[in-house]
Amino acid sequence: MCFDSILLSMKLHLNHHQSRGLMSSQIDPVVRTARREALIVLGIWLTALTYSVTTCYVLGYNRPISELKLVFGFPEWVFWGIVVPWVSCSMISWIFAVVFVRDGELGIELEETEDELGLGG
Amino acid sequence: MLVLFILGSVWIGVLANRATQKGSFMKGFFLGNRGLGAWALALTATVQSGGTFMGFPSLVYTHGWIVALWIGSYMVVPITGFGILGKRLAQLSRRTEAITVPDLFRVRFGSPKLGLVASLFILLYLSFMMFAQFKAGAIVMKLAWPGSGVLAMNEDQEPFLLNEKSLERLAEDGVPANVVEKLTPLVGKGFRSAMELIEPVKAALTVDEFASFKEPIIKRGTQLDWLYIIGLLIFALTVVGYTLMGGFLAAVWTDLFQSVLMFFGVLILLFATLSQVGGLENATRKSLEHTGPGFVFGPGFDPKAAATASATTTATSAAPVATHEFLPLSLAISFFVVWVWSGVGSPAGLVRVMASQNTQVIRKSIYLLSVYNLGIYLPLIIICISGRALIPNLPTSSSDEIVPRLAIMTTKDWPCGSLVAGLILAAPFGAVMSTVSSYLVVISSGLVRDIYQRFIRPLATPMELRKAAYTAMIFAGLVSVAVNISPVQFLQAFIVFSATGAAATFLIPAVMACYWRRATVAGILSSMIGGASTVLTLYLLGIFGVMPAQPFGQLTKFHPYYLLNVDPFLWGLLASGTLGIVVSLLTTPPDAKLVSKMFDAEPVA
Repeated sequence: MCFDSILLSMKLHLNHHQSRGLMSSQIDPVVRTARREALIVLGIWLTALTYSVTTCYVLGYNRPISELKLVFGFPEWVFWGIVVPWVSCSMISWIFAVVFVRDGELGIELEETEDELGLGG
Repeated sequence: MLVLFILGSVWIGVLANRATQKGSFMKGFFLGNRGLGAWALALTATVQSGGTFMGFPSLVYTHGWIVALWIGSYMVVPITGFGILGKRLAQLSRRTEAITVPDLFRVRFGSPKLGLVASLFILLYLSFMMFAQFKAGAIVMKLAWPGSGVLAMNEDQEPFLLNEKSLERLAEDGVPANVVEKLTPLVGKGFRSAMELIEPVKAALTVDEFASFKEPIIKRGTQLDWLYIIGLLIFALTVVGYTLMGGFLAAVWTDLFQSVLMFFGVLILLFATLSQVGGLENATRKSLEHTGPGFVFGPGFDPKAAATASATTTATSAAPVATHEFLPLSLAISFFVVWVWSGVGSPAGLVRVMASQNTQVIRKSIYLLSVYNLGIYLPLIIICISGRALIPNLPTSSSDEIVPRLAIMTTKDWPCGSLVAGLILAAPFGAVMSTVSSYLVVISSGLVRDIYQRFIRPLATPMELRKAAYTAMIFAGLVSVAVNISPVQFLQAFIVFSATGAAATFLIPAVMACYWRRATVAGILSSMIGGASTVLTLYLLGIFGVMPAQPFGQLTKFHPYYLLNVDPFLWGLLASGTLGIVVSLLTTPPDAKLVSKMFDAEPVA
């Protein structure tokens, strides 16, 4: 504990005159990986939105009955616009969760004391 | 079956009660000691409510394949639900030692004021959402009552009915005899809602008569519905009872129990309906016979316009009905945003993530939920399309019952078919119960932790807190029952707005709290208030008909005003985000020490 705090103050001293760039390298790894993963997920969501809505709209809006084509019993646009991306997204989610998401120490909570509230603030 | 279900839930309550005995009462009762495993987190955090089993199937039945696009964003819900905030929120809730969402905001920004505002918002939204679920629970209970089930729907059980007595009362109320005379043909006909009762009344009277006597006619036509009230009471006793015993864990475990049940129920029903209808291709083609191109193409089938076109309606609605688009392009895009982000931002969901055990659990949850969603939503769509082929002409008002009806119809020739049907019928009941219990936990944690412990008695002993928590839950239950015995129209308006409002209030602030060092108290406050008030305004404009009616969306009475044809949630997010960023940048940066404590591996001392 004591040793830790000495180390910490040494580090702080070293960083004292340095730019924010070095400060940010102190960012908790969980914060950094979480932020990166959030951005990837955002990208996946945007891709899914664009692909699904476009496909469904182009193939499936305001058509006469005569143009109805079925793929495995689904209307063609539902199959390509919903079923296929849904299955792919499930696979991507699996790969993402297994391969990309980094595990990290979430931190241990202190035992609750009388002032666990952190009332101040 | 239902009795078994209730007993099962109470048993879970007792088990959860034992589990929460460990450690501090508050953390155990309201957060399950941060011990949620992957199954519990995955299958309960992005809550399915009663809507999954009643509202959604009814939409598929009514509007057709287009509902697949409406719900399509659920393909990414597992990954967004846990991938955007999951890990960081779980970490932050440990760093702030938060038990509730307002706790987290208070400590993250070092501002009791922010905590209070957050808890008031949560209490407001969740109360309204809970009122709605209580009502749904009572209705399911009533339908499942022996002899009053969906298949034995008697006229005299309809809650809206004019009988001899009500006509006498009307005369006493000062309604002229000639008006009462005109109503006599309606005597003895039951209706399921005030709206339905109004239709024939309107047709029977002149415009002036209708306008001046509408109120008393509805009042006298509303019969006190004993089954509904008994259902409501049994429902309330069960849910409040087991939640009281087991707190957060009871809510989560019943949720899990019900989710698993639902999964198997849906798969069995998928098999049953598809074999009865002879494959999906047959189902799609047969369902078309009774509908129109809108059933298989966007923007969705419009039952009203179709009915008018084929001239099968009664004289009452002879006027041409404008086409009503269920899902125009703008709404298709909107819903891709709404489902995904309202899931991420819902307070009950945020709490679940805060309770997750570790990062492995969060990862595992992502793919567990992917499999689960794939196995629930696509099959449900197929089931209800087949439903339209098998039971082609359910009136719009009964389309909510498509799943129970199919369950009974398709399993009746099976050995122990009634048991299987019972299993499927129990699903919506379980969904409603578990939703209510999770709301109860959040509401009572809000009252006890965020208000009582913070502001009234900071030094309360664990015993006092326990008593306060129980009192808060019983109180919330009593209010919900009271409100639901005679619901007022206003209430419905707020209920419709609550789910969207809650997410629009909390999503952006939660993202900013997690990832933006520069976010300030003022920024977060304005973001919350901006999001909430934007959504509220658009809903009120729509609900009270201030703006002209729009020819798309769901066929319900209470719908928002879609500014530029886009869902209010998107406007709420836009307002919330803009205000949050601009106000944060305009105010003094937050205390560097505090930020470092929340973001850095080795915080500045």
